[in-house]
Amino acid sequence: MNIDEFLDPTILIVSGKGGVGKTTVAASLALVAARHGRKVCVVEVDQKGTLTKLLGGRSATYEPTELTPRVWGVNITAERALAEYLEVQYHMKRISRVFTSSHFVDYIATAAPGLEDILILGKIWFLEKGRYTEHNFDTIIVDAPAAGHMLTFLSAPMGLSDAVRVGPIKRQAEWLVEMLRDPKRARVHLVTLPEEMPVSETLETAAALDGKIGISAGQTFANAVYRPLLDENEQSLFEEIAADGSIDELCKAADRVGLSLDGRDLEALNGYAGFLQSRRDIQADHLARLRKGKGGVIDLPFLFSAGLALPDVESLADVIEAEVASL
Amino acid sequence: MNPINELVSVKEIIVCAGSGGVGKTTTAAAIALRAAMDGKKAAVLTIDPAKRLASSLGLKELSSEPSKVSKAKFTSAGLKPKGELHALMLDTKSTFDKVVLRYAPTPEQAERIINNRFYRNISGTLSGTQEYMAMEKLYELHADGGYDLIVIDTPPTRNALDFLDAPKRLTDFFESRVLRWFLLPYMKATGGIMRIANVAATTFLRIVKKIVGAEVLEDTAEFFSNLEGMYDGFKQRAQDVAALLKSDNTSFVVVTSPAEDSVTEATYFATRLNESGLPFGSLVVNRVHPSFGEPIDVTPRQLRRLQEGDERDRLLAKLLINEDRFRGLVHLEEKNLKGLARRIPRHLWVRVPYLQTEAVDFPGLIEIAERLFDGEAEAV
Ligand SMILES: Nc1ncnc2c1ncn2[C@@H]1O[C@H](COP(=O)(O)OP(=O)(O)OP(=O)(O)O)[C@@H](O)[C@H]1O
Ligand SMILES: Nc1ncnc2c1ncn2[C@@H]1O[C@H](COP(=O)(O)OP(=O)(O)O)[C@@H](O)[C@H]1O
Ligand SMILES: [Mg+2]
Ligand SMILES: [Mg+2]
Repeated sequence: MNIDEFLDPTILIVSGKGGVGKTTVAASLALVAARHGRKVCVVEVDQKGTLTKLLGGRSATYEPTELTPRVWGVNITAERALAEYLEVQYHMKRISRVFTSSHFVDYIATAAPGLEDILILGKIWFLEKGRYTEHNFDTIIVDAPAAGHMLTFLSAPMGLSDAVRVGPIKRQAEWLVEMLRDPKRARVHLVTLPEEMPVSETLETAAALDGKIGISAGQTFANAVYRPLLDENEQSLFEEIAADGSIDELCKAADRVGLSLDGRDLEALNGYAGFLQSRRDIQADHLARLRKGKGGVIDLPFLFSAGLALPDVESLADVIEAEVASL
Repeated sequence: MNPINELVSVKEIIVCAGSGGVGKTTTAAAIALRAAMDGKKAAVLTIDPAKRLASSLGLKELSSEPSKVSKAKFTSAGLKPKGELHALMLDTKSTFDKVVLRYAPTPEQAERIINNRFYRNISGTLSGTQEYMAMEKLYELHADGGYDLIVIDTPPTRNALDFLDAPKRLTDFFESRVLRWFLLPYMKATGGIMRIANVAATTFLRIVKKIVGAEVLEDTAEFFSNLEGMYDGFKQRAQDVAALLKSDNTSFVVVTSPAEDSVTEATYFATRLNESGLPFGSLVVNRVHPSFGEPIDVTPRQLRRLQEGDERDRLLAKLLINEDRFRGLVHLEEKNLKGLARRIPRHLWVRVPYLQTEAVDFPGLIEIAERLFDGEAEAV
C-alpha cells in the first residue's frame, strides 16, 4: 500500500484494550504522518500526557501546542468540550464554568451514556473542520480512551442520532456519524498484543466495526512481537550443537575472539534463547488467530529499551513505513 | 514460611488486588485451586476472566451463583483434589438488582427502580459499580456459602485504588445534594410542599434538556426519588462490608508485575491499604523475567569480530545479543522492584516467573500455585 493512501483519511483513531500500546502506536503514526509532510494533531482523551511526553513535548492542553516539528498535541476532556460547546452554541460562558468544576458530567454521563464520547468526538469534528482553532491539521490522530469497551466510544453518535428525533442535537449527531462512517475522513486502527484476551477482543471489535457500527477498520497493529533471533541455518546449527552436546564448539568460537565461556554461561545463553522461543511460539498462535480476521496486520517489534522514548517511537515509525509499503 | 501458604491456612477471605493485566484473576484462581487440592472447600469469585481460563473452571457465562468445578475437570488434568473448588464470574447487574430488592421498602418500588432507564445505565457505565458489587457478592458468599476460603479477584481497572474508593464514590453519587438540587423541578413534590427551584438550576436544566432530552431528566429524577429511604440500608451494608474487609479473617494480596507503572501503583496501593486499616498479607510479583545465570561480559569489539566470522561465530554473536537484551530486562525489573522493598518487607513477597506456557488451564494454574505456595520467601 502506498503511504499516501494509508495517510489519506484525516482522522486516524487508535483503539484497543488497556495497556496494549495504543499510545505508543499513536505516537509512531504521528511521526509517520509528519515525515510525509502532514501537519499533525495528536489527541489525548483525558489522560496524563503519556502521548505528548513520548513525542518529546510537555503535557498537552485543550489548546494545541507543538510537540516536535509538524506534530501538535491537544488533551480533550468531556468537561472542557461541554463548556466550549455551550459557549459557542448557546453563548453561555458563565454557566459553562460550572461544568469544569463539578461532577455534572458524571451524572449526565450516567443519565445519557455516550454523551461524554459525543462531546469528545464533537471537538474532534471541530478540529477536522478547523473551527474555533487557528490551526488547519492534515492528520488528526486520536489515542482513544481505554476505559470501558472500545466500541461504545465509537458507536455513541449512532445511539444519539437514533434517540433524538429533531433539532440541532440530532443534526450534530448525524454530522458525527457521517464523519466516522466516511472512510476518506476517518479510519480506526486497532492495536493488540499477541495474547489471548487482547486478540479475542480485537477480533470481536473488528467484526462489530465492520458490521453494525459501519466504521471502516484500517490496519490491526500487533504490538510487542518478539523478533526471531536466528535464521533457519543458524537454528539448525544451534540444534545440532545442543543435541550432540558439542557445546564446546561455541566455546571455541568464543576463544577465538578472546572471550572465555564456561558451562554455566552456555546454559544461560541456552536458557534465554529457549525462553524467547517459547514466548514466540505462544505469540505465533495468537498472531495466526489475528491473521484469520479481515484486514491487514502490521507486526511491531518488542523493544528491549528501558522505558520507551522518542528514539524508540522513531524506530517503530520506520517499521510502520516499511510494513505499510509491503501490504 | 511462605506468606501465601500462611495466609491460606489461617484466613477465610483473600482479596487479590492490583492494576490491570498484572495477573490478578490468574493468581486468584491459582490460590483457590491449590486450597481445594489441599482439602479446603474453596470458592473463587472471578471478574472478567480470559475465555480459556473461564472454561478451565467450567464457567460459560456470567453467573451470580457459584458452581462446583467437576471432578472430571480435575481428573482430566491428572489431579485429585482433597477438597472442593467452586467458581463464579461476577454478574454486576443481577447482583445490583438483588441489592435493590433487599432494601426497597416495597416490591413495587424495587420494580420501579429496576425498570428505570437511569438505573439500567448505572451498572454499565458508572465507575465503581462493579467494585461495589464485587464486595456485595463477597459479603453474601461469606455469610451464606459455608466456604473455608473465598478468594476474590478485583475489576480490571487501570488504577488499583479505584477499588478502594468505589463504595464511597457510589454512595456519594447517590447522595449528592447538588444533583438533587438540579433535579428538583423534576422531582414529584413530596410531603405536599412544592419547592421553588432557583434560577441557575432552571437555566442549567433548560440546556441539559436540549442536549439529552426531557425524558432522560425525568428518568433520572424518578430514579433518585425512588431511591429515597434506601440510603440507610446501602450505607449500613457498606459499613458491614468494610468491617468484614478489616477483620482478622481477611487478607489482601497485592499483585504486581515488575513493570515500572504497576510497581508504582502497587507501592501506593500498599500504603493506602495501611492507611485505611485494611490487612495487607502478601505481595505477588508476577510475570518476572527469569534469570538464567551470571551476566556474560562481552566487549563490542569481540561481538563485532564474531559477527564477521563464520556461521558458528554468528550464531554465538546472536545468542550473546539475546542474553544481553533479556539480562537488561531482568536488571530493569530488579531496579523497578527495589523501591518497593522499602514499603513492603521482602519476606512478604512471592515471585512468580513469566511462564513459558500459557497460564490458562489447570496445569498452568498448578504451576503458578507451586510458585505461589512453595516458593521461598525473599531473603531479607
Ligand atoms: N513495542 C513495544 N516494545 C516494548 N514495550 C512496549 C512496546 N509498546 C509499548 N510498550 C510498553 O508497554 C506499556 C504500555 O504501552 P502504552 O502506554 O502505549 O499502552 P496504552 O494502550 O496506551 O495503555 P493505556 O491503556 O494505559 O493508555 C508502556 O510501558 C510501553 O513503554
Ligand atoms: N506468571 C505468568 N506467566 C505467563 N503468563 C501469565 C502469568 N500470569 C498471568 N499470565 C497471563 O497474563 C494475562 C493477564 O492475566 P490476568 O490474570 O487476566 O490479569 P488481570 O486479572 O490482572 O487483568 C493472561 O493471559 C494470563 O494467562
Ligand atoms: Mg495510553
Ligand atoms: Mg482480571
